[in-house]
Amino acid sequence: MDQQLLNAIFIGSIYALFAVGYTLVFGVLDILNLAHSAVFMLGAAVTYSLVINHGQPFWVACILGIAASGFMGLVIEHVCLRPLRRRQAPPIAALISTIGLALIIVAAIEQGQPGQFFAWLWVDGPNSVAFPPGTIPNPTWHVGDLTLEASKVAIIPISIVLMLVLGYVIRYTQVGRGLRAVAENPRAARLMGLDVDRMISLTLVISSALGGLAGILFGVALGDISPYIGRDNVEVRGLAVIVLGGMGSIPGAVVGGYLLGLIEVAALVTLGSNARGGVAFAALFLMLVLRPQGLFGAQLRERI
Amino acid sequence: MDFFFQLFSDPVGFWNSHTLLIAQIGINGILATSMFVVLFSGQLSLAAPGFMAVGAYTSVLMGLYWHTPLALGLVAGTLLAGVVGALVGLPVLRLRGVFLAIATIGFVEALRLGVILNLPITGEGLGLKNPSADPLGGINLILVSFVVVVFVAWRLTKGRLGHAWAAIRQDEIAALSQGIHVARYKLLAFILSAVMAGFAGGLEAHLNFFVDPGDTQYGVTRAVQILTFAVLGGSGFVLGPVVGALFITLLPWIFEAAGPYINIVSGAFLIAIIVFRPQGIVGRGGLAIIRPSWWPRARASAPSTG
Amino acid sequence: MLLRLDSVQRHFGGVHAVDGVSLEVERGAIQGLIGPNGAGKTTLVNVLTGYVPFQAGHAWVGADELTGLPAFRIAALGVARTFQNIRLFKELTAIENVLVGMHTRRRDDTLAQLATLPFFRRDQRGRLNEAHKLMDTVGLASRDVGDRPAGTLPYGDQRRLEIARALALRPRLLILDEPAAGMNPSEKHRIRELIERLNADGLTILLIDHDMRLVMGVCNRVAVLNFGRKIADGTPEEVSTDSGVIKAYLGSGGEREVRSAPGASGVDQAAEADEVAGSGRPSVEPENAILEVHGLTVSYGAITAVRGASFSVAPGEVVALIGANGAGKSTILNTLSGLLRPDYGSAMFDGLDLTAAKPSAIVRHGLVQVPEGREILARQTVLENLELATWARQSGRGAQGQIALMMKRFPILGERRDMRAGTLSGGEQQMLAIARGLLAKPRLLLLDEPSLGLAPQMVDEVFRAIEEIHADGTTILLVEQNALRALAIADRAYVIETGRIQLSGSGDDLLHNPAVRRAYLGG
Repeated sequence: MDQQLLNAIFIGSIYALFAVGYTLVFGVLDILNLAHSAVFMLGAAVTYSLVINHGQPFWVACILGIAASGFMGLVIEHVCLRPLRRRQAPPIAALISTIGLALIIVAAIEQGQPGQFFAWLWVDGPNSVAFPPGTIPNPTWHVGDLTLEASKVAIIPISIVLMLVLGYVIRYTQVGRGLRAVAENPRAARLMGLDVDRMISLTLVISSALGGLAGILFGVALGDISPYIGRDNVEVRGLAVIVLGGMGSIPGAVVGGYLLGLIEVAALVTLGSNARGGVAFAALFLMLVLRPQGLFGAQLRERI
Repeated sequence: MDFFFQLFSDPVGFWNSHTLLIAQIGINGILATSMFVVLFSGQLSLAAPGFMAVGAYTSVLMGLYWHTPLALGLVAGTLLAGVVGALVGLPVLRLRGVFLAIATIGFVEALRLGVILNLPITGEGLGLKNPSADPLGGINLILVSFVVVVFVAWRLTKGRLGHAWAAIRQDEIAALSQGIHVARYKLLAFILSAVMAGFAGGLEAHLNFFVDPGDTQYGVTRAVQILTFAVLGGSGFVLGPVVGALFITLLPWIFEAAGPYINIVSGAFLIAIIVFRPQGIVGRGGLAIIRPSWWPRARASAPSTG
Repeated sequence: MLLRLDSVQRHFGGVHAVDGVSLEVERGAIQGLIGPNGAGKTTLVNVLTGYVPFQAGHAWVGADELTGLPAFRIAALGVARTFQNIRLFKELTAIENVLVGMHTRRRDDTLAQLATLPFFRRDQRGRLNEAHKLMDTVGLASRDVGDRPAGTLPYGDQRRLEIARALALRPRLLILDEPAAGMNPSEKHRIRELIERLNADGLTILLIDHDMRLVMGVCNRVAVLNFGRKIADGTPEEVSTDSGVIKAYLGSGGEREVRSAPGASGVDQAAEADEVAGSGRPSVEPENAILEVHGLTVSYGAITAVRGASFSVAPGEVVALIGANGAGKSTILNTLSGLLRPDYGSAMFDGLDLTAAKPSAIVRHGLVQVPEGREILARQTVLENLELATWARQSGRGAQGQIALMMKRFPILGERRDMRAGTLSGGEQQMLAIARGLLAKPRLLLLDEPSLGLAPQMVDEVFRAIEEIHADGTTILLVEQNALRALAIADRAYVIETGRIQLSGSGDDLLHNPAVRRAYLGG
């Protein structure tokens, strides 16, 4: 039971880290970036590939994996979002363009096989792989009847520290005020001398780097890296998390992440593994019906 | 390119060798129209795969256990989808935009992961054998009902109902001030869309001897695909989503030459289309619909189903 | 008695928006409802039309009780309304907007549609004819604008179209919520004629407006709200001489407030006074201009908003751009700020090409706009708004001192430093917006409609602030609808009409120029 609670906390951390980036983009742009789960996967895949196929040290690979994810944020902005903003397309169009990019990223990894075009990126095709024991530092402790693996335990402080830093930056620094200004009123932000396009690029880079890091943590801790880890594990759950917490709210995404982790583990324990996802989504549906602004969102009222 | 060549050089042979594909196009066309109906009334609902599952499992299970004829199972599945549509549609009436989209995703996944994958009667995630399937025999029914569904949707958008839907999509508060019962019309669109999706789900289940409860069938991936039909084709006019469905369903053939890289090319193509035609392939203005045919064309404006 | 309200009440949290209002409107009357900003006029209308629930009290139209009915039922009972901030179906064509208005008296044709029965066409044709007639009634050329998306119509036409849509309900009672807001006097005059014409056809009208002259001129009876309570009710004469009303509506103060109240009679008199003074002298363009604009032409899609505007501003000047709503003033400012790109023309600000520079670079170069509608960041605190305003200064050094200085200049901002900016009153928000503009270290400050929507005494305060800023040496380009006030403080001014600069001259010259009356006041 305690082990389960621990699992809830660490899977919750990953959800939270993933969802913070998701919600950041929604908060600033009012757009759901559906390529976020592909970036999550890309972070894990690049890191794995650098260690196993290119012989890089683990820490270097991690940094490069996060950098690659952050760079993908720039690609999302320049390919999928900015052209649509220029044409004043409805937000729904961005949904489709980010889906298109997600399709490309996943397909590129999927087609990464020895001798193929993408072999430099990935060689395991659609298969799920894990870091072989010994390639990454992973001391394990036993405390009572709990098993503590460093790779899992580390997730918790890493996530919490990162989210605190992000929260501080958004709340108390000039850049954070700028991001909030762009989120609230891009026109006013422009007139105050902010370069709105640059702020949006920055948002995407931060968001994607966090998403990539979440992917790396996931891949390391669960020993499951494949082109589909984003789609299968966080794509829709990420939505649930940001709705539970309140769309666009960063503390909301954090709390929502842990809450979803707890709900899922509770469902797993009481109802069995199949019910896990179903309960989470029933909670999502109920939350939206009963309290659409989420736990931390402000009540929205339309002026007549 | 052989594919398109055959379409013109040997239509009969094309029909015979691609019957299943044509049937799938018809079904996707119905699903696209179901999406169109909700979008036209200003609701970004992604619930279609849930209603498809209701229609599919009802018709298959009735055939399996009660040995009812296909038609009866289809009718029952369609009606049940409508009932579920009402039950789901009512509580989400006040949600808008992506909030509605996410709530309906919640419904879809709760139904699939929570119910379908857990009930012994639906195969508990292992899928369900459907010995009464008739992959080729249903083609006529599918094509006829496809035409009927598109026709119904088209006519409905032309009348008083269509005016009300268009007004609601543009501004619910202003629509209220014109005496339009906004909640009733939105719910009506939601249920109609559920009925169409349930019907399509029932039809589709009989194309195959196996009902697969996977994500690409009754999950979010399918929901997103159906949304893509509508957005890519253009949601302002009933033919838009249908063209989108045709297009997406044929993508593997259009980009046959890309071989294993088909998804990369398709993804790039999706982005290119949406960037260069944010309003979709078909239709310039979102609302050409309620203009009488002899009236001069209105100027372009992007649809606002966002 | 067509409309009867009995102690209607609606509070929002601690705000007594509507606090026990009773009112009776005779059949066939034009009833006015006036009051200062925030008096609860719009809330009362929203309660009455079912958008905001009744908290207490009752209302009847004829024999039908409105209390507790949803908005669409109230509309179906024949209560039509327009909205303060126009709410058309923007992407539907003008004609379609009016057709939607016929919803309640149209029989359900769903089955006929499916069978595509022929009688439907005849039906549709009848409705179209009626829609055209309604558009003509409100003064819209239905053949010309009928098939344009409503959102692309000029502002005044949108207001009129909204009235046509309301009329399509065939209402018993028409509620007009600020139908003349943002209109120039000649447009207001046409709205007044329209209201009188509709009333002559037997329609009962409840008119809410800021404009005393319009309301007093057209209404049979006027009720006055202040802080959610009715403080007066009677004929226009009775109400306009009621001392409580004068105090509430015009603010305590003298002659000046009365003269400057929007639409108060002073506007006309001043312009009329010098009808004979001769036409404007050719303007003197400064030689050492800091801002030079030549042949600026800007369009939105097919609509050209600014046609070849040329003007200049010298350091230390206050230059005013005056003109009616939709004349293109804000378009010019937004082009200068880099938010819009011109089709032709040049705009140079101290060596920077404004037609090519990024908005952020323009602000850094010292051209700062305080936009129309203030656009403060409502969710951030006053202090955060001010801190962010120092963004363009590059270095944070000295910023805190500047903010402290700003709070000294606008003490109210210091008092409210930790409140969310959205909770400030309109006047306080305007002060914040100006302070924010100043913190960006402007060498040229663009002020877009700083007095819009403010109570008269607030308008005074805003203009006082502008004069102070100018006295400190800031160059100002001021866009105002309140032409008299703008001209009074301007060194030079340009009069702009339908995107062209019609006149220019010194502030004093234009103040006494009959052509200004023609161009701006519309005769």
